[in-house]
Amino acid sequence: MKKIGLRRLSAIAAVSLSATVLAVVPAHAATTIKIITPNYTDAMPAYYADLNARFEAANPGIKVEHTNLSWDDILVKGRTLVATNSTPDIMNLNTFSDYAAADLLYKATDIFDAKTLADFVPAFIDNSKYNGTAYAVPDLASARMFFYNKKILYTSGVNKVPTTWAEVTAAAKKIKAKYPAVYPIAIPLGSEEAQGEFAIWAGGNNGRYFDNDTKKWVINSKANVETLKFLTGLVKAGLTQPSPASTNRTDAFKLFSQGKVGMINASVFFPSTLKDYKSKVDYGVAPFPHSATGKSITLGVQDYFMAFKKPGNDVAVKAWMNFLFQPSNYAGFLRAAGGFIPATKSASTAVDSSLLPFINQLPNAIFYPGDLAAWPKVAGTITTQVGTGVIYDAKGVLDKIQKVAVAAGTK
Amino acid sequence: MTAISLGAKKVKNRRPANSFLSALPWIGPAILLILLVVVWPAVELIRISLTKITSAGVLEGFNGLGNYKLLFENPDLKTIAIRTVVWVLSVVFLTVIISLPLAQLINQSFPGRKFVRWAMIVPWAASVVMTSIIWKWMLELTSGEFNLTLRQLGIQHGQPVDWLRDPRFSFFVLIWVAVFVSIPFTTFVILAGLQSIPHDIIEAAQVDGASAWQVYRGIKFPLLRNSLLIATIINLINVFNSFPIIWALTRGGPGYNTDTTTTFAYKMAFVEYNMGPSTALGVINFGFIMLIVLVYLRVTKATRDQA
Repeated sequence: MKKIGLRRLSAIAAVSLSATVLAVVPAHAATTIKIITPNYTDAMPAYYADLNARFEAANPGIKVEHTNLSWDDILVKGRTLVATNSTPDIMNLNTFSDYAAADLLYKATDIFDAKTLADFVPAFIDNSKYNGTAYAVPDLASARMFFYNKKILYTSGVNKVPTTWAEVTAAAKKIKAKYPAVYPIAIPLGSEEAQGEFAIWAGGNNGRYFDNDTKKWVINSKANVETLKFLTGLVKAGLTQPSPASTNRTDAFKLFSQGKVGMINASVFFPSTLKDYKSKVDYGVAPFPHSATGKSITLGVQDYFMAFKKPGNDVAVKAWMNFLFQPSNYAGFLRAAGGFIPATKSASTAVDSSLLPFINQLPNAIFYPGDLAAWPKVAGTITTQVGTGVIYDAKGVLDKIQKVAVAAGTK
Repeated sequence: MTAISLGAKKVKNRRPANSFLSALPWIGPAILLILLVVVWPAVELIRISLTKITSAGVLEGFNGLGNYKLLFENPDLKTIAIRTVVWVLSVVFLTVIISLPLAQLINQSFPGRKFVRWAMIVPWAASVVMTSIIWKWMLELTSGEFNLTLRQLGIQHGQPVDWLRDPRFSFFVLIWVAVFVSIPFTTFVILAGLQSIPHDIIEAAQVDGASAWQVYRGIKFPLLRNSLLIATIINLINVFNSFPIIWALTRGGPGYNTDTTTTFAYKMAFVEYNMGPSTALGVINFGFIMLIVLVYLRVTKATRDQA
């Protein structure tokens, strides 16, 4: 019996000892870089497996440890890895600014030469700057437009695609009268993407989250409160899907794909999503409606590649990032990601014609204040809270978010 | 575990002063394991809760009680704390109320009893996330089996009910799913209690002419006290910690409308990137669990001493 005890003891000691050794001694022989990326589609892991195999063959001294994660998981993992001192070398994420503020990232000029940098679409590189310096590069972007179900709209007696809020309301009422089982307009304000849904409606009413001129948060501005009240009006009139505050974008997309929704705000990749869902809906795409005093805008959203400063990884991360953005490799990335707007000028020349309406909207694009270190926190609070504005008092909810934003700062 | 009990027997023959040292080789591994997987994470949790932490997850030095201060300034905390109490008490109460007759039922012998017992344990044996996702599908707005059935039976007219997204219903749906996954364990603990009741007492009562209800009320129920206590306390811990049901079905939304302190701590950290107060809430949740565990130890000790 004693033997067992000792054996256990030594086994546990050995396990904990080796764990400590692993944690303390970095791998020296070859440089290993850890890369963490989200799955835009299920095609991403296969794309990266091929890319990394070719990369390792071309760079014998470098090994790549690649982790593909769902968006849900990567948002959690990114923070956890930094907090536990196991920061990866390269990440692909929807925000970068708080990592830049914490001085964890290489500058874009440390990674790319001037020629490669100049190929990125200038607006997207500008959004990758923190305090005037680019700390990340755009990997792809999206723009949004107004999608409508042609059959539902036209057979309800709506002859012109709505361009203003008043026309949206009128069209929604006609659809409801003709098709009681259809939700005339879907407004997904659930936590998945509420910050985007609200931004595009508010944007058409001159509402923003952050005022770039005064450098102040303006989340509870008059324009934004008006917007939330307008949306509440649609909800109260029964013109939307039930419980918008907890409807996620994916839920709303599914309803549209089943022909149960008349009109919806959707992103550039929506056509390929509809194809994945095997949807038979005949849809049209139009500029996003605006209020009587506003003008039509689109919401530009981009994601980022960023490289983390760690001793001895500079050569390896530089090599991998440049390999990824070689035109043929980057074209493969865009194909695997499915239907997004390219982040480089060279790739933009060869896009699918279905992307053109969205690219044409880009001059009217508003962007998130993604260059502020406070943005990830503010955006997170908007996603969970803004939807409740259609249940409770719109002004009160926006005031609450404004308070969080002001406390998070404007840097 | 065996190493501990065997070690304990052996030390009886030795001088008490030496007892801890001589027991160490046997209990050492267990102590090491507990230090590694229980004590160390708890210490880390408390340490981080006293540290300033940025939204990127970078630790920026000692912060005193700053994170706790931020947490208690949060206007939503009070509602969420009250909801957590309602959640825990109602789930545990309903679970016990439903499990008592169920245990009685599967204690009877009837054809197919084995199958019924087996079927009852499935929701417990299956992963909670899996069960939750199945419920999510069943209760889905337009394509869920539940709404389709209501419609086919002619019970539901007009717009379907959004069970999981409408805050008027979703909290009750969550309570029901939590009860559903807690019933098997509770029923089997009570069943074990029922089977430990000596037959002769019951027979004696029956000979004296006691009705079935009198036997249950006067003999079985009082003798079930210990198993009920244990089932209740373990359920309290489980339900308080229950993250997957709420997260899979509603994500605590809309807003914080179906959050408990457990999901709220997660939501603050990983959705709103409000790391500091989240670590403080983590410590408070941990303290609460420790409190219930202490009660549990007290109760089990009391029942063991009784026996």
